[in-house]
Amino acid sequence: MTTGAPAGSATSAGPATNSPGTAGERRPRTLPKQAVPGAPLLEVDDLRTYFALGSDTVRAVDGVSFRLDAGEALGIAGESGCGKTTTALSLVRLLPGNARIVGGAVRLYGIDLAAKSDTAIRRYRWREISIVFQGAMNALNPVTRVRDQVAEPIVERLGVGRRAANRRAGDLLELVGIPRARGSAYPHELSGGMRQRAMIAMALACDPAIVIGDEPTTALDVMVQAQILDLLERLRERLGLSLILITHDLSVIAETCDRVLIMYAGRVAEEGPVGEVFTRPRHPYTQKLLAAFPNIRADRRALDVIPGSPPDLRTPPPGCRFAPRCPAAMAVCSEVVPPDVRFADRVRVACHLYPEGSSGEPVPVAATP
Amino acid sequence: MTATPPVTVPTTPPATDELIRLEGLEVHFPVRRALVDLLPGRRRGVVRAVDGIDLAIRRGEVLALVGESGSGKTTTGRVVVKLTAPTGGRVIFEGRDVTTLRDREALRDYRRRVQVIFQDPYETLNPKQSIGDFVAEPLDVNRLATSRSDRRERVLAALDAAGLRPAEDFARRYPHELSGGQRQRVVIAGALVMDPELVVADEPVSMLDVSIRTELLRLMLDLRAARGLTYLFITHDLALAWVLADRIAVMYLGRIMEIGPAERVIGDPHNPYTRALVSVSPTTTPPTPGERATRTILVGETPDAAHIPSGCRFHPRCPLAFERCRSDEPPLFDVGHGQQAACWLAEGGRALPVVAAASGDARDA
Amino acid sequence: MTAADAAFGAPAPRGLAGSPIGLLVRLVRRPEGAFGALILAVFAVLAIAPELFVGPLQTAVTAPGTRLSPPSPEFPFGTDELRRDMLNLTVHGARVSMAIGLLATLVTVFIGAVVGIVAGFLGGRVDAILMRITDFFLVIPTFVLALILTPIIRDLVGSGSAQVLGIRMTLIVIVIVIGITSWSSTARIIRSQTLSLKERAFVDRARVIGAGGGHIMRRHILPNVINLIVANAVLVFAGAVLTETTLSFVGLGDPFQPSWGQLLEAARTVGAPGLGAWWYFVPPGVGIVLVVFAFTLVGGALDDLLNPKRRGRR
Repeated sequence: MTTGAPAGSATSAGPATNSPGTAGERRPRTLPKQAVPGAPLLEVDDLRTYFALGSDTVRAVDGVSFRLDAGEALGIAGESGCGKTTTALSLVRLLPGNARIVGGAVRLYGIDLAAKSDTAIRRYRWREISIVFQGAMNALNPVTRVRDQVAEPIVERLGVGRRAANRRAGDLLELVGIPRARGSAYPHELSGGMRQRAMIAMALACDPAIVIGDEPTTALDVMVQAQILDLLERLRERLGLSLILITHDLSVIAETCDRVLIMYAGRVAEEGPVGEVFTRPRHPYTQKLLAAFPNIRADRRALDVIPGSPPDLRTPPPGCRFAPRCPAAMAVCSEVVPPDVRFADRVRVACHLYPEGSSGEPVPVAATP
Repeated sequence: MTATPPVTVPTTPPATDELIRLEGLEVHFPVRRALVDLLPGRRRGVVRAVDGIDLAIRRGEVLALVGESGSGKTTTGRVVVKLTAPTGGRVIFEGRDVTTLRDREALRDYRRRVQVIFQDPYETLNPKQSIGDFVAEPLDVNRLATSRSDRRERVLAALDAAGLRPAEDFARRYPHELSGGQRQRVVIAGALVMDPELVVADEPVSMLDVSIRTELLRLMLDLRAARGLTYLFITHDLALAWVLADRIAVMYLGRIMEIGPAERVIGDPHNPYTRALVSVSPTTTPPTPGERATRTILVGETPDAAHIPSGCRFHPRCPLAFERCRSDEPPLFDVGHGQQAACWLAEGGRALPVVAAASGDARDA
Repeated sequence: MTAADAAFGAPAPRGLAGSPIGLLVRLVRRPEGAFGALILAVFAVLAIAPELFVGPLQTAVTAPGTRLSPPSPEFPFGTDELRRDMLNLTVHGARVSMAIGLLATLVTVFIGAVVGIVAGFLGGRVDAILMRITDFFLVIPTFVLALILTPIIRDLVGSGSAQVLGIRMTLIVIVIVIGITSWSSTARIIRSQTLSLKERAFVDRARVIGAGGGHIMRRHILPNVINLIVANAVLVFAGAVLTETTLSFVGLGDPFQPSWGQLLEAARTVGAPGLGAWWYFVPPGVGIVLVVFAFTLVGGALDDLLNPKRRGRR
């Protein structure tokens, strides 16, 4: 009737693993031909994606770096406009027409995807890295059966025949918890939760190494959200999948991810294991953001406010972009961009409160009265 | 977490007199008729969005109505603000039956005292209407302003109370010039301008960014303290209810499953549905493996309100269901400390048994 | 300006938002909109003050030329059988055609908008009845109905010498007839938009504060359909000009205030095609084509602008 967590499930707290712990049903991966042996699964290095808007340039992603290892779940958190969705779209190169990756590298198995042409990237998109878009469950083709839509990428990308593709699509639907028979339904006949599962099945169609979920549970009820997150967790174990979860909802990341990347105004504020960042946040933005989240298990009515609003990314402030709103801002903050500093517990912070060589002890910032 | 003590918002102890009471409230919608329904023996379907709820809101309290989609919480809110007419039951406001108000004066009086804040700040404002006109509209429609200057003053006062300063500046603007948080403040100002007593807030912050939400929630609580407002706060987010509410009522498929003080409903739920919801509500504290094991992830989704299960409507998905649950619908049983739960297991005020975590992989079918 | 905003161009596409003036401004930024608007502007200027360009309307008495002479330096468009300068007639014809078109459009759009908003908003029986009436007018061929109605209205209204906007009663009859026969598609369009507006949160909010139906229709529905009405009116205008032309062509026009259609009818009666007097029917014909074409361009551009799915392509 109900499912508790399966025995031996991967925990979200604790250090990131280089290879997944449980054996499960993972298929051994065949790496793409150009893969560099020994390279990490995904390495994003100083990514910059800008939008052209009339005569202005919006610096939506302005120097984001991170790494994803096989079997890991990384959460990218931030409020709207921080650049997290743009980062995700940059990884799969599905940016809107007026956006361009202007700098940095996106290295999948050491292969720089950012440098590839639009046609060359097709070899990797969906086959190595796929994405479940925000609100995708409402973007299903209303006049096509669900199974056919899941089969479509299999036919197009893998060149498999329709019968075999449909069979595999049925397998995928079962994998995500949709009974095979329901595959012949049309999208409107399915509930929101089931449509989201179908989208996940579609993202898995070509057996990618990485699945990016952009706000995968935002429009869903709490219970359905729990089901979908549980599903993602089990798929991760079973298929050895790596996940990048993009969301504004920190609690979803706390539940599901190994590591978290906190983004603000196009840059990374803090990054590290979920257990560390969420219990001992360092960056003032992380602290304020966490304090602004209602927490069922914590003290009531203790909510913090972040005054002001995010900067206009056409003319971002010099130095640290959070400085104008930061209660702990110092003079240097509005002049010099804070460098990334790594600490022993594998947390990375970009804040002048934590310069290179400092202890890395979190400095609490004042709540807004 | 931060070392400095977090800012706590002052709470007002709920007053004891009742402002509004719903008795046996029902809202049933007929399912569209198809030709097939004319065949003999074919019963016409009914969507029982609200299927018999008893709810009393005390003056000055914040009552959170919590539920997932299909629970009937939004429809209940709409009945209270008279956007939807009930098909059964009564609405008692300050002791008077206001279920159907035929008298225009009485209806106008009711509307003056019961206002609404909707979910979508981008939709609640007419793009063609200036902010000032939007806030003044209740005064205009009900001819409440005594003069132009009176109208202006009241509009500016409402905008100021909602935190939009300088008020004169905002009054002149149009919705597209404002951010989501500002628009929602305008909506709040529009709800305040007639000095209401009860405000129904339907997911007022769910479309706003996290950091803006807190501002708006604080504003709502401050207004409650300053003006003695009463809130019916409708939300799917248990954590928001936790932060804001004095009492929480949990709805499922048109009925109240549990109701009581917020600390008790969340800390010690007596209905399995409530307990499951609380257990899966994610928090920013990463769960321990022990905590993960006690999550009760229900199978399937809420059935649609045209096909409500027999007996206790939750029984098909309930981990603790037994024979009686399939045949008889439980009433709300008192379990002490002002808390009530609609569950046969709660009869006599008993606590729910602890469920052992499922061993192995109980994959949802 | 967040990344989300930037992705879709800023400001966000306004679709139905924005004032009618703003809409017209955006219209002329598009090449086809600008071109159409230019043509219409030229004809509008000619229509407003034809005397400034060609002097007063020539009559049989004041006709200066020779009978049916081809274009010459003196008479660039030649002359008709009454020895009148075709250029003079064509330009004055612009005024008549455009004025009738404008008046007919006003009548059509007014009836259509009122019916559309009331039917869409009130729903139920009122909607059903109004829509059946609308369907009736929609289904009957406009032209046939116009033919039937014109003599009837003419009897009702009389053909006195009263004038509206300098148009004689005989042609006002045509205005009324066009109005009666054309409002139904406007009504359908407006009703459709009203139906979706009715469900929006700001209408709910208006109800909650106690606003009545009339207030909501005036203050909330109407301002949000105005742009649609404007776009529709443009195409109605084109249709009205064509309908008037056709009605005049079959003899229901007024020879004393010749519209382009009337000129075409006169050309046919005189046998101009057979006589090779192309200059008689080509100018009015080209005028009609140009004006209707211009309206269609503008209407099409407006339609594009109002499509809410449109991304911010400028």
